[in-house]
Amino acid sequence: MILLKLTWRSLWNRRISVILTLISIAISVSLLLGVEYIRKEAKSSFLSTISGTDLVVGARSGPVQLLLYSVFRIGNATNNIGWDTYQTIADNKRVDWTITLSLGDSHLGYRVLGTNQDYFKHYRYADKRLLAFEHGKPFGSVYEAVLGSEVAKTLGYTLDRKITLSHGAGATSFSEHKNKPFTVVGILKPTGTPIDRTVHVTLEGIEAIHIDWQAGAPVAGFEISAEKAAKMNLQPEVITAFLVGLKSRSATFRLQREINDYRQEPLLAVVPGVALSELWQSIGQFEVVLRIITIFVLVAGLLGMLTTLLSTLNERRREMAILRAVGAYPWQIFLLFLLEAFLIAVLGCLLGCLMVFIGVLLAQPWVTAEYGLHLRTWLPGWDDAKLIVLITIAAVIFSTLPALIAYRRTLQDGLTVKI
Amino acid sequence: MNIVELDQLRYRWQGQSKDILHIPELNIAQGEHVFLRGESGSGKTTLLNLLAGILTPSDGHIRLLEHDFHHASSMKRDRFRADHMGVIFQQFNLLPYLSATENVTLPCHFSARRRDKSGDTEQSAIQLLDHLQLDESLRNSMVTSLSVGQQQRVAVARALIGQPEIIIADEPTSALDTGTRDRFIELLFSKAEAQKSTIIFVSHDPHIAEHFPRVIELSEINKAL
Ligand SMILES: Nc1ncnc2c1ncn2[C@@H]1O[C@H](COP(=O)(O)OP(=O)(O)O)[C@@H](O)[C@H]1O
Ligand SMILES: [Mg+2]
Repeated sequence: MILLKLTWRSLWNRRISVILTLISIAISVSLLLGVEYIRKEAKSSFLSTISGTDLVVGARSGPVQLLLYSVFRIGNATNNIGWDTYQTIADNKRVDWTITLSLGDSHLGYRVLGTNQDYFKHYRYADKRLLAFEHGKPFGSVYEAVLGSEVAKTLGYTLDRKITLSHGAGATSFSEHKNKPFTVVGILKPTGTPIDRTVHVTLEGIEAIHIDWQAGAPVAGFEISAEKAAKMNLQPEVITAFLVGLKSRSATFRLQREINDYRQEPLLAVVPGVALSELWQSIGQFEVVLRIITIFVLVAGLLGMLTTLLSTLNERRREMAILRAVGAYPWQIFLLFLLEAFLIAVLGCLLGCLMVFIGVLLAQPWVTAEYGLHLRTWLPGWDDAKLIVLITIAAVIFSTLPALIAYRRTLQDGLTVKI
Repeated sequence: MNIVELDQLRYRWQGQSKDILHIPELNIAQGEHVFLRGESGSGKTTLLNLLAGILTPSDGHIRLLEHDFHHASSMKRDRFRADHMGVIFQQFNLLPYLSATENVTLPCHFSARRRDKSGDTEQSAIQLLDHLQLDESLRNSMVTSLSVGQQQRVAVARALIGQPEIIIADEPTSALDTGTRDRFIELLFSKAEAQKSTIIFVSHDPHIAEHFPRVIELSEINKAL
C-alpha cells in the first residue's frame, strides 16, 4: 500500500524529531507498564510475606491487628496466650507443627522475636521458601541470637557479637537487660520480609531475661545471674502468638472454628492469606494514586506527539499539495496522518516494552541481593496488551486534530504550493 | 474533439465582492499546446484549480473530455484528475523523501488507469527520465540533491507517466534560467506530442510565447473586472 510506504518514508525523512517523539512515548509507556509491574510484584510479594502457614493464632483482637504484630512486627498484642492453651492446640492431632512467637523486647529499635527451633524448619515465605543462613547456624542455647539480614547489615554485626536486649519496642528504652547479653550465632539471608528486621532468640532466652523482673521492671535486690537463670525452669507461662502448620490443609477452617470457639481463653485464628489480602486492600489506596500519576505521564507523552505532528504541518503543506496533484483523495491525506500516529504509537509501545523488559532484567540480580525479593521476568500479559491497544487508539484519536487541519488545508490550497 | 470547453465560467473567491474569473467561452482541442499568459494575481492558478476540479465554478460549465462536471462529486473530480491529468508546479514539485524514479511513478499508485497504461511502471518511468535527459546516475538519488532544472524534468516525467490526456503546468519555468527553460519546454513538447497529451501552460512570462502555436492572453478572455 502506497500510503504506508509514504508514511514510512516521510517519517524516516524527519527521523530526528520522530525518534525523539518515539522515545517520549516509549518512556511514558514503560513507566505505565513498569508501574503496573511493580504494583503486581509488590502485591504478590506482600501477599507472600508468609506462606506455608495455615493459621496464625493469638489473643482475640482484630485479624489485621493480629497479622500486623505477629507477621509484620508492627504494633503490640493486647493480650497474651497461656502456655496451657498453646499446648492443647499444639497437641491437636491435625496439627503438624507450631512456631511460638514471643514479642515485646527490642534491640536498638529492631523487634526481638522469641521463638523455637521449628521456626527455622517450618517458617516459609514467598514461594514456600525456607529461611537460609548467610553466616552461622540456628540458635542452640538460651543466650544465642540469630539476626535478620538488615539488622546485621545496618548495625554492622558479625558472628560472636554480644548484644543486649531492651524491654519494650522503642529504640531508646530505659530498661535494658544488661546483665544477660546474647551472642550472635547466625545471620539470615535477605528475605524481603519483616524477618530481615528481626532479632531472633529462643523462647527460653526471653524467659531468662525476665526471670528477675516483675510488672515490666527489675525487682530490686533480686537479681539473678545469667548462668543461674539458664539453669532454672525456663518454660514460659505465656506467649504472644503462634503459627500452625496442619497435616492436611483441608482441616484449616475446621480448626480455625475450633480455636475461635475455644472456651478457656478468648482466641483468634486467622488464615494468613485471607488476612493479608484484607490488609492489602486497606492499604491499597496507593495503587489508585500510582495509576493516576501514570495516566498523566501518558497524556503528557501523547501531547508531545500531538505537538510534533502539529509542528510538522506547515513544513508538510507542500507534501500534501503534491499528493493531491498526483491524485490522492483528501481522505487519503487524512489517513496519512492517522497512519503516522499509529506507527509512532506502535513503535513507541514496542520500545517501551523493550525498556521495561531490559530494566527488569538488569534490576533482578540487584533487587535479589539487596532486598531478597525475587522479581519475575517481565513479559507482556493480557493487561499490558490491552494497555498498548488503548494507548495506540488514544494516539490515533489525538492525531485526528492535525489530520483534520491537513485535510482542510488540502481542500483550500488546491494546487497552490504554499512554501 | 475538444478536450476542454468552458461555458460562461464564473468564479468568485469566498468573501470577495466580485468575480476573479468570468470566461464566456474557451475551447482547447486535443493535442493542442496552449500558452495562457496573465499578470501575476490575474487568476491563472485559480483557473487551473478549476480545470483540475479542486475548485468548483461559482457559475457556468466546465467540460473535460466531453464530461460535464457540473454535478460531479468532489470524489469523482479527484478520480478524474488522477486518471487524466498531469500537474507540474512552479517548483518544489517532488516529495523530498522519494527517489527520482519513485516520484515519477507516484501517480500510478493513485490511478489504476495510469498504472495500466504505463505497463511496467518502473520501466516506463526510467524511459521517461531517459527521454528527458536525466542522467542515469540520478535516477535513484534523493531528489533534494538534484538541481532545480533536473527536478522540473522529473516533475514532467511524473506528469506524463500513464499518458494522461491533459498536462497542466503552472509557471514551471519561472525558477529556471533562459537556456534551461527553452530546453525544458522542448523536452516537454516532444514527449507530450508522442503521447498526444494536451498541454495547458500558464505563465506571466511573455518570452515563452514563441514556443507555442497557440497563445491566449487571460485578460482578453476574462470578462471579469
Ligand atoms: N485561497 C484563496 N482564498 C481567497 N482568495 C484567493 C485564494 N487564492 C487566490 N485568491 C485570490 O485570487 C487572486 C488570483 O490568484 P491566483 O489565481 O493565484 O493568481 P495567479 O496564479 O495568476 O498569480 C489573488 O490575487 C487572490 O486575491
Ligand atoms: Mg499562480
